[in-house]
Amino acid sequence: MRWATRAGIHIDRAACAWLICRHLDSAAQFVFVADPGEIPADATAFDIGGAELSHHAGDCSFEVILRRHDLTDPVLWRMAAIVHEADLDDERYDAPEAPGLDVVLRGLSLIRSDEEVLRLTAPVFDGVYEFFRRAILLGGEPA
Amino acid sequence: MSLGQDASGEWVLLSYRLPREPSTPRTAVWRKLKRLGVAQISDGLVALPAGPRSREQLEWVGEEVIDAGGTAAIWLARPATRGQGERLAAAMAAARAAEYQSVVAAAHQAAASTDPADRVIALRRLRSELRGIRRRDYFPPADLDHAEAAVQALASADAAEEAAAPAATELAAAELAAAKETA
Repeated sequence: MRWATRAGIHIDRAACAWLICRHLDSAAQFVFVADPGEIPADATAFDIGGAELSHHAGDCSFEVILRRHDLTDPVLWRMAAIVHEADLDDERYDAPEAPGLDVVLRGLSLIRSDEEVLRLTAPVFDGVYEFFRRAILLGGEPA
Repeated sequence: MSLGQDASGEWVLLSYRLPREPSTPRTAVWRKLKRLGVAQISDGLVALPAGPRSREQLEWVGEEVIDAGGTAAIWLARPATRGQGERLAAAMAAARAAEYQSVVAAAHQAAASTDPADRVIALRRLRSELRGIRRRDYFPPADLDHAEAAVQALASADAAEEAAAPAATELAAAELAAAKETA
């Protein structure tokens, strides 16, 4: 399947792309567009104005995808808190990791193409997922 | 203003209209715009210096307005005269300056507190407040330096006191030893 999003990848789009690859469509192909009018007819749009899988009711796109696809994994929701705070910084959640991850993503976006950013951040999100998976299982931070 | 944006450069504008009732979405939108540090050009028209981030932030607010039954549009604009852009920038810098000054006042007040726990709580709150103001500060005024210095002074005062207090030092040494053992 093809997925389209706004060009200029930051935390929310990178995390959404990772979520799509890991939980919705392992063969996902991504298209980056500058204008919502350029979204290909066969592509599902996310994190771009007017899309269903985009910011709604104070949620960032990552949270909206979790809700629309009934993904209730608490580890993904812990990650959603980080993505939300890094993207919107409205103190809805307590996510001290957010500013750090935001800097990493914003920095990468300055030196790499959108395709490269997705390739580089996939293992980062895999690692963050594993960290919080173990943290939730252990009831504390993994060593 | 050498650190800030170019006021005569491009601006991103959000024009929006929201029904007067219900008032909840109006308030939510207003809070978000305030948090972004927008310059208010007129009723229903706000601006930020154009950049990928500011543009996206205003676009999300626009989407929220539309979700709430209003209308919104995003524009990229250049002030026709240099003075016009500079007035917007000056208004934004003045708004941030007032926020920095309130941080300075709060830091001084906290420094005068005799309870170290109060000072620690105040320090945490002021650091986070300062971070928030910096994020929406496109034309940093001199007050930024004053606010940073005042908050840093609050942190240094407590660090100096901790170093001077033998009980605290012993505790820190014990913690360090324990940490080494588990490492």
